[in-house]
Formats: sequence, structure tokens, C-alpha cells
Amino acid sequence: MAAIIEVENLTKSYGSKRGIADVSFQVQEGEVFGFLGPNGAGKTTTIRTLMALIRAESGTALIAGLDCWKQSLEIKRLVGYIPGEPALDPNLTGGQILEYFAHLRGGVDQAYLKQLIDRFELDTSRKFRQYSTGNKRKVVLIQAFMHRPRLLILDEPTSGLDPLNQQEFDHMVLEARDEGRTVFLSSHVLSEVEKTCTSVGIIRDGTLVRIGDVAEVKAIKRYEITITFANPVPAEVFKTLDGVADVETLDHGHAVRLAMQGSADAVIKAAANYSVVSLTSYEPSLEDIFLRYYEDDVAPVKEVQSVAK
Amino acid sequence: MWLSSVFLKTLRDYRIAILGWGIGMGLVVVSPMASVSALVTTPQARQQLVSLAATFAWNADPVAVDTIGGYATFKIGIFMFLIAIWPLLAGSRMLRGEEDRGSLDVLLSLPRPRLNVAVEKLAAMWTALLVMGVLIGLLAFAGGKKFGGDFGFGDALLFGLNLALICAVFGGLALLISQFTQERGPAAGWTAGLLLVFIVLDMVHRVVANSEWISRLSPIYYYNLSKPLVPSYGVNAGAMVGLLVLAAILGIAGVWLFVRRDVGGTVPLPRWLRLPERQASRALPVGDWSLRSVYARSMGMIAMPTFWWTLGIAGFAGWMVYVVQLMEARLSSLLSSSPAFTALIKNLGGGNAGVNAGFLSAMFFFLPLLLMAFAVTQVSSWSADEQEGRLELVLAAPQARVWVLLGRFAALGTATVAIGVVTLIASAGAAAAAGLNIDGGNLAAATLGMIPLGLLIAAIGYLASGWLRTAADTGLLSFVLAAWFFISFIGPELTLPDATLRLSAFYYYGTPLLHGLQVTSVLGVLAVTAVVLGLGALRFANKDIAA
Repeated sequence: MAAIIEVENLTKSYGSKRGIADVSFQVQEGEVFGFLGPNGAGKTTTIRTLMALIRAESGTALIAGLDCWKQSLEIKRLVGYIPGEPALDPNLTGGQILEYFAHLRGGVDQAYLKQLIDRFELDTSRKFRQYSTGNKRKVVLIQAFMHRPRLLILDEPTSGLDPLNQQEFDHMVLEARDEGRTVFLSSHVLSEVEKTCTSVGIIRDGTLVRIGDVAEVKAIKRYEITITFANPVPAEVFKTLDGVADVETLDHGHAVRLAMQGSADAVIKAAANYSVVSLTSYEPSLEDIFLRYYEDDVAPVKEVQSVAK
Repeated sequence: MWLSSVFLKTLRDYRIAILGWGIGMGLVVVSPMASVSALVTTPQARQQLVSLAATFAWNADPVAVDTIGGYATFKIGIFMFLIAIWPLLAGSRMLRGEEDRGSLDVLLSLPRPRLNVAVEKLAAMWTALLVMGVLIGLLAFAGGKKFGGDFGFGDALLFGLNLALICAVFGGLALLISQFTQERGPAAGWTAGLLLVFIVLDMVHRVVANSEWISRLSPIYYYNLSKPLVPSYGVNAGAMVGLLVLAAILGIAGVWLFVRRDVGGTVPLPRWLRLPERQASRALPVGDWSLRSVYARSMGMIAMPTFWWTLGIAGFAGWMVYVVQLMEARLSSLLSSSPAFTALIKNLGGGNAGVNAGFLSAMFFFLPLLLMAFAVTQVSSWSADEQEGRLELVLAAPQARVWVLLGRFAALGTATVAIGVVTLIASAGAAAAAGLNIDGGNLAAATLGMIPLGLLIAAIGYLASGWLRTAADTGLLSFVLAAWFFISFIGPELTLPDATLRLSAFYYYGTPLLHGLQVTSVLGVLAVTAVVLGLGALRFANKDIAA
């Protein structure tokens, strides 16, 4: 697979205010890339730079091998975009907005457009200002998908959608992926990223702190194992084992809760020496990883390097 | 301190308007005081002014128009429309505007009764109007002192108070209407429409005999019953109290309805007044011409404002052409007895002030001013679209930034051409109806010659919007327009050097009604417009688009 997005040392500031600094990553064609970060981390700045709405001070950003600033027109033919805070002409109806953007794109398949409208059950006769937040989001979603773009750049696309429509959106993202199209998706909804994305990048304070496959990112996280024994077992049995970060004794020694990082092989073998009543492992979500990256005071560059190894 | 209550916070929000509108309207009152002192230098001139004012009785009662205070009161007349703009906007925004923005939800989530919030906001608007009234009164008093007015300090304050009261009526009306509309825009629009109706109703009794009962339906009639700047006429306390009571009733009714309806909803209308239920649809407006390009969409956006501005500009030109012969005799007398007025008309008109064409030429000086004001509103709309993020998705479509800007500018250009052409047709039609002989070529030059000036101010605005936010851009353009106007309006009288006069765009408009099209000037303005627009497009193509 070739990279469809290539970002190298991208830097953008707003006067004295931080934007992004030395952000580098690649997104391969056909993958769904989740871009995570809290408010003000630099997600929107990165996305707006890719869309040539703002100009980077240094670094390069290429989409399909084309320079995002110099060849933005060619790039926009390939891209469907949803801004973080979509604003559209409040006096136009949803239908007028979709027709307008269809014309600006040189025409779209009307049958497919109608199919999208039906899929989201959008009433196209209402003025944009009269729509609820969720319906406004539907209009913007449809305009991003209606020309079947090769790349979708979506800045928090499901904000304001109800669960049913979020599910519909997830299906559309997966369909796009199945058709070989690429999705670059920024989100706060980690379960959504976990469900739909194949790769994840985490940005904090304008710097990319981690990037990798969803599975890879999840593999480096801490997780917990709780083992209940028929008789009390000393905690020292587990403290020095490989992969164990911390041990907590429960129920007067009848159970232990182990904070794990890495393989559980040594723990399982040690526990097998005793009579085990039950063993539960807590599978952390991306949420846990995400929170950890924003709670821990870890040097970001070091972490990116550790993944690259 | 200013953030310690809803009342103070709202008053704080009004602080710039209080100063800007108060002083601005004060100057509107003072400026005729300056001109009347120059107009009535001889008894004959005084008599002619009184006679001429009688011709304009439809505008306002011509009471003691040969005095400083009487003339200033008379001149306000139709400017009531201008004076009432701020209160009607403030009244429609007070609650409905905050609902539009969603900020009222947050405010009403605080442990504070809804009634208190609304009452404090209403009180803040009334306080703002009162302070504006005081500012207007102070400026009127200062103007009277400077130009020899015969009214006192108390009279000036009563004058400001009377204005504040009529403004409070329209503010209250807008607040009341906004309880029935889903957005603030229609509330402001309906109130502006009613304001126009009330102005016309008030005029009726001055034009048609035995029709005073009709004018009594208008609150402006009661405003006009008091003329504090004319001591011999005085104040009608009953009328002022009546305005106060009406303002209170309208404001309290608005608040009463607000506390009983859903936030974000409207007061339910009786079934027979409701619009038919709209059927949900998933259809697309496939054949809509206005959605085919940025230019077409821009034309769709500008169509309605263009219609209203065309009505105003073409109507003004046509009306001036139509009435100039009717005023000829009185105007000639006034001109012969008032050298200052003669000089002013001559400076603006560029010819013999004593003939119809000279006077008309001076009046046509205002056409490019109006067209440029229209262009400023459209530049403001462009700038606001960028600032509020409405260009983001357009620019994410495969449309070059330069073409997006030029598409929008081309729509404005088309609108200015339409206004010019309709103004030409209206003027020619009025001339034919009045039997006035005007050179067709010169009339075309005078009406179509304003187009380059409209384009020039727009191009300057587009360039400035590359750096400035909407308010600053609009402010800058308004300042430039005012500066140009005053350079050309009073510059010749102040014998400003030719180099200074050339700084004004009006200089290049010239006096086409008398002297035809100045081809070199027009081409020069168009060339400068092209360069400025090119720079604006270049800046827009390379700037960061506002998030």
C-alpha cells in the first residue's frame, strides 16, 4: 500500500500561540486513520493545513503525492471534507446546500446523493438555520460523501449525531474502507475510533505522541488481571515476575490484582502452582490509553520513537 | 462591576452603541444648525427658506424653520428612519438574538427568574436610550450655543428625551414582535416595515386635509407634537407621557410573553393565522439556477438587498428629477438671496446653481454616495462569511480561492450595474413625465458613472478584509466614505488644495449631468479598482482562512 497522506515536520503557529510543531506521519491508502487528541491539541490545525485552509510555516504535507498548498485544487477533487465546526448559509435549505456543493464539485451522481439522503432520513426542505445540531451534521456528512471521494478528511464528524446515525456513519466509513478509499478521522469518541480505525495517531500540545496500528497501540498499554485462589497466596510470588508492574492483595490473600504490561505468560505459569478459583483480565479500551497519555507526564518524542522501534 | 448583573452586563454590551449612536445622531441634529445660520443671512433668504420648507411639509411640520432649533427639528423629519434603526435592532436582538446564538439557554440555566433576566435587559436598553438622549441633548445644546440658537439647556435635554422615548417605542415594538418570530431578522424587518408605515401615516395629515385622525395612529405623530428646540412651540407633556406609556406597554408585553413561552419557540398564533404545515421532503432543487456556481449563488444572495437599494437610489433620482421643476420658482428666490446655499449647490453641481440642471446635478452627487454605501454593506457580508466560517466548505470544494472572491465581486458588480441602469430608466421616465428636458447622454453618464465608484470602494473593502475582521473592515470603509464625502462636500468651500480634492473618489465622478462623462476619470477609477481588486485577490489566495 502506498501512502496517500505524507506529513513531514509540519509546523504552524498563530503568532505567539502554539499550533502544531514538527508533526510527522503517514496514512496508507485504503486505511481508516483515527486522529485523537483533546481540545486544542492541534487536530484541527493539522486538518486545516491538509485542506490548504491555512498555510504551514515549515514542513511538507502531501496528499496523493501532491503538495497540499501548491496543488490544493487537484487535491480537493480527491477529498471529501467535514470541518470541526461546520458553518453554512443559514438561509439555504439542506437540499439547496447539497445541490450547490454538487455543482461546485462539477456534478455528482444524483441517484447516489438521493440514496445518502434516504439513508440519513434527511428532510431537505428545511432551512439550514432551522435544523437541529444532528440534522446540520447530516447535511455536512452527506456533502462529504456524495462525490465518492478517494480520501475523506473528517474533523469530529459524529459530534451531535444520535446513536442510530452514528451507527450509520460507522457503516459508511467501513464501506468506504471496503471500497479501497481512505478515511482520516479526528474524534473524541474513542469507541468509534476503536470500531472503525485501523491506525491511530495521538496528538498532545501540538506534538504527535504516538502513532501505530490500533492493535499495536493497545498492546503497549497496561491491563489488569485479577486471580482468585482457593487458599491465600503471598503477593511476593508475583511481584518479581516479567510483565508485572504492580500487585495488590485482595480478600485477605485469597485474590491478587496485577497491573500488567506485556506478556502474561510468567503470571499464568506461576498461578498454575496454586488452586485457582477464577481469573479475569480487564481489556482496556482506547479510552484508557488515551487518558493515560494525557495524564502521564511522558516525553512525547521518546514514546513515538519507542513505537517506531 | 460591569459583569455583576444582567443589567450591567447588557449595558456594557451597549457601551459602544451608546457613544457611537448618541454622538452620531447628535451630529445629525447639529449639522443642519450649521447650515441654517449660513442660509438665513438676509430677510429675503429667511422668507424664501420658510417658503421652500413649506414645499417639504410632507417631511415635517415647517415650524419656525428660520430658527436654529426649528430648522434642526424640521430636518429630522424623515431621518426618523435612521434614528430608530438602533433601537429596533437592539429590541429584536435583546432576547431573540441571544436565543439564536444559544447563549440565553446558558443564562437561563442560572438560578435567576426568567422575568428578572428579561426585565433587566429591557431596563438596560431603556437606560442606553436615555443616555443616548442625553448625549443628543448635550450636542444639540452645544450646537445651539455655537450657531446662535434661542433654546436653553433644559429644552435641549427635553429634545433628547423626546427622541429617546420614540426610540423606546420602536425598541419595545421590536421586542414584542420578536416573541412571534423564530429569528431576530424577521422581527427587525417587520418593525422596520411598521416604522415606515408609521412615518407615512404621520405624513398624511400634512399632505391631505382633514386626515389628522389617520396620523394619530402613528406614534411619530405624538413625537412631533413636542418641539422643545422651538421655545415658542414648546413641549406637549401629554404626548411625551403617552410615548412613555406606549413604550412601557410594548416592552412589558414583550417580557410578559417571553416568560410564558418556550425558549427557542414562539408565542403560538391562533390557528387561522398560522402558515400551513410544511410537508417534510427529501427532494433536491435540481433546476435551481442560483446554485450552479459561486457567482450564481452570490447573485442569489445579493438579489434582495439589491432590490431594496435600487428602489431607494432609483426612487431618489427619479423623484428629484420629477420635482425639480415644481420647486424652481422658490428655489431660484432662495438661491438669489443666499450666497452660501448658492455656493454649496454650485460646488456640488458644478454649474449655474440657478437653473434646474445645476440643482439636479448637485442632488445627483448623492447617488454615488448611496451606491457606495450599498457596496460597503456587501463587503461587510463577504467579510462576515469568512469570519464566521461559511467559506470553509466552499474553499474545500475544488474552487480556486481567487475565483471564489472574483465570483462574489462579479455579483456585486452586476448588482451595481443593475442599480445604475434602473436609476437611468427611472430618471429618464421621471423627466419625460415631468416634461423636463435633460440631455440623455449626460443623464446616462450621471447614473451609470456612479458604477465605477461603487466598484472601487468594494475593491478596497475586499483588499482590507484580507487583514481586518468584519467590524474593522466596515468601520474603515465607512470612514473612507465619510472622508471622501466631506472632502468633496465642504472641500471647495474651505478652498482645500486641488491635490486634497483629488483624494476623494467623488472628484472623479465630477458633474456628469452638466458636463458629460469624464472618460479619463472613469478609466482611471476602473484601473485603480482593477489593481486594488487584484491585490485583494492575491492576498485572499495566500492568507489563512479564519476558523
